[in-house]
Amino acid sequence: MKQSILKGLTLLTLAATLALTACGNSGGNNGESNAANSGGKADPNAPVKLKIMWQGPDTRHQAMLKTQEVYTKLNPSVTFSPEYMAWDDYWKKLPTLAASHSLPDVLHMDGAYIQEFATRGTLEDLSDIDLTGVIDDKTLENLKIDGKLYGIPISRNAQGIAFNKEALAAAGIELPKKDWTWDEYFDFARNARAKLPEGVYPIGDSTTWDHYLYYQMSYGKGPIIQEDGKKFNLDKELFMKFYGIYAEFREKKIVPPADMGSAFKDNDPQADPMASGKVMTRGATVGSVGALTQLMPGKVGIVNMPVGPEGGGWAQPTIFLSVSTDAKHKDAAKAFIKWFVTEKEAGQTYGMNFGIPIYDDIYAALEPNLEEKDKLGKELYDVAKDKAMPFSPAAAGWTEWIDNYKKTMDAVMFGQKSLEDAYNEITKSGNAIAEKQSSK
Amino acid sequence: MKAEAVNKPAAVKLRLTKKLKRSNNNNLAGYIFISPWLLGFLLLTVWPIIQSFYLSFTEYSLLEAPTWTGTQNYVNIFKNDTDFTTSLKVTFIFVLFSVPLKLFFSLMVAMMLNKNLKGMNLYRTAIYFPSLIGGSVAVAALWRNMFSLNGYFNQVLAWFGIEGVGWITNPDTSLGTLILLNTWQFGSTMVIFLAGLKQIPNELYESASVDGASKIRKFFHITLPMLSPVMFFNLVLGIIGSFQMFTAASIITQGGPINSTYMYALFLYDKAFKHYQMGYASALAWILLVIVALITAINFLVSRYWVFYETDGGKQK
Repeated sequence: MKQSILKGLTLLTLAATLALTACGNSGGNNGESNAANSGGKADPNAPVKLKIMWQGPDTRHQAMLKTQEVYTKLNPSVTFSPEYMAWDDYWKKLPTLAASHSLPDVLHMDGAYIQEFATRGTLEDLSDIDLTGVIDDKTLENLKIDGKLYGIPISRNAQGIAFNKEALAAAGIELPKKDWTWDEYFDFARNARAKLPEGVYPIGDSTTWDHYLYYQMSYGKGPIIQEDGKKFNLDKELFMKFYGIYAEFREKKIVPPADMGSAFKDNDPQADPMASGKVMTRGATVGSVGALTQLMPGKVGIVNMPVGPEGGGWAQPTIFLSVSTDAKHKDAAKAFIKWFVTEKEAGQTYGMNFGIPIYDDIYAALEPNLEEKDKLGKELYDVAKDKAMPFSPAAAGWTEWIDNYKKTMDAVMFGQKSLEDAYNEITKSGNAIAEKQSSK
Repeated sequence: MKAEAVNKPAAVKLRLTKKLKRSNNNNLAGYIFISPWLLGFLLLTVWPIIQSFYLSFTEYSLLEAPTWTGTQNYVNIFKNDTDFTTSLKVTFIFVLFSVPLKLFFSLMVAMMLNKNLKGMNLYRTAIYFPSLIGGSVAVAALWRNMFSLNGYFNQVLAWFGIEGVGWITNPDTSLGTLILLNTWQFGSTMVIFLAGLKQIPNELYESASVDGASKIRKFFHITLPMLSPVMFFNLVLGIIGSFQMFTAASIITQGGPINSTYMYALFLYDKAFKHYQMGYASALAWILLVIVALITAINFLVSRYWVFYETDGGKQK
């Protein structure tokens, strides 16, 4: 008797579990329904609750929440329903919201993703927000996608390299200088290897596409992904040369061993390559270098990306506020964004949490009271902007290729794949995606 | 007499309708009681399954409406996708090792906990306790810290002068670490084994003892056959569960290094939410369903030869 109950139980549980295998990934609705949208044209004083979402570290969350409080104080009819999380989770959550047409009114966008969302009709054109005298027209014009402005830039950002100035100086190593070339960068690494103790490494290994992208672009070969993702351009000669140098570095222990390199996690007190004391340098941006400084106060120095004939790195706005096409209160959302970038009171509240505020007057008001971590961000921007090249994000539909690039180069790093094979595979998948995008 | 004869069927009919009505009422009440579950099942399980079947024939980025592409997704999966074969291979290896290990381990623990010792309930609680948080994100995060290059495990090894590797960041050891974690999460399997062990009548052991059977003989000739239905239950569930392994792979290793722990469910998730290919991911889900269904069917067929049900009068089916 008991056994037959058990048998029945087996079957029942089995049925349920089988059902669950498939349901884990159900899509949203089919995109037929459309959220009600009044455009907020009714009575301007009617109470409005703006849904707002952003990503970042905790300090940014706190600053953002305070900024909303200030806005509500000034405009009592507008309150907020905020949602915030870390980078990875944010970009996984947004697509599901987009699929169910429930994106928030105001959302944080990033240069790396804005194309993906803008070209698929999930963001409103914000060209009609008047920003005369706040952001110059040339900057705005550069940020347009197909002639439309899908996000209002809120800060200036730049890519550079942070280094442990204390430890480098202690080991008698010359600190990196502004506008150093790629050759100088590699020589710095070779030279530092000789002077650093065992188990401490001058630079990190490189397996992500963006790091090589800087190299290719600074030698004048242009971005890897071009023409809105319809053209693929990976220069074989430079690719082989660049990763040939890293192969040499792995052999000479100038970069950390592969299993150590894979375990690093930026801004984690124990696992950050620099904060853990294992590596002397790592990439940093204006918006993120503050977090590193807090982990190792007084020890961080910054320099721009190594340069080639064409320049090096980038320095431009990459953080935006956008309004979704699902928004229920579009006008109220636009009004908030305008206030956010133009009013000093707003800037005083969020400070340097998004990088250097885009409106110079706001930054000027902040400047006298900057903390060390914020000053370093500004310093990085100033160092990077002279030789900056254009920011070249991946186009829509390329995230898969970016993942594959890293996996392929990881295999090279672990010695499981030859460089030649890696080049061929990356090129093959890149061409396939470019072809697919062109046929659309 | 005649009148009576005519009336009788009418009376029976009346009684029948009354009875039917009552039973209908009873059924209705029953359906109302299970309706929360039923609604959830229909709307949150059946409907998405139907939808995912439709979506598996479309290209769907989540951001735009799906477009019909016929069997293109399936063709691409089988013809051009090396990640598909890789992740399938990784998942099969995982299932092949983790399921038997877990069964073996949980049976051993269950047998130890089936002894009549003082304070046994305390031991049982203590050993089962970690399983309450078993498959959770917190455990995965803990595991990551234990087996990272500077993790506790390597620190312990260092006491003995052994230099550990980055267990989860080294492609040679990462999958093994996940299999170990899965084996360690033996709690619920163990509890079912324990319940099964308690059902085995003591008389069998007693009479075997009288006949002079050794402990090992008793295990192979009484415990195992009597436990075979429970074993079968755990085996089937274990296989299905292992095929869907996701949390640990996503949190501890993110499928890496170099795809060494790229579980099928994680691959499916990446396609859906990272690469914006929900249609393709739906096709992957259906392929997984077919694979798991096939393996389960084979399991049921093979079970005739080794699962022993007492109710069948001791005959092998």
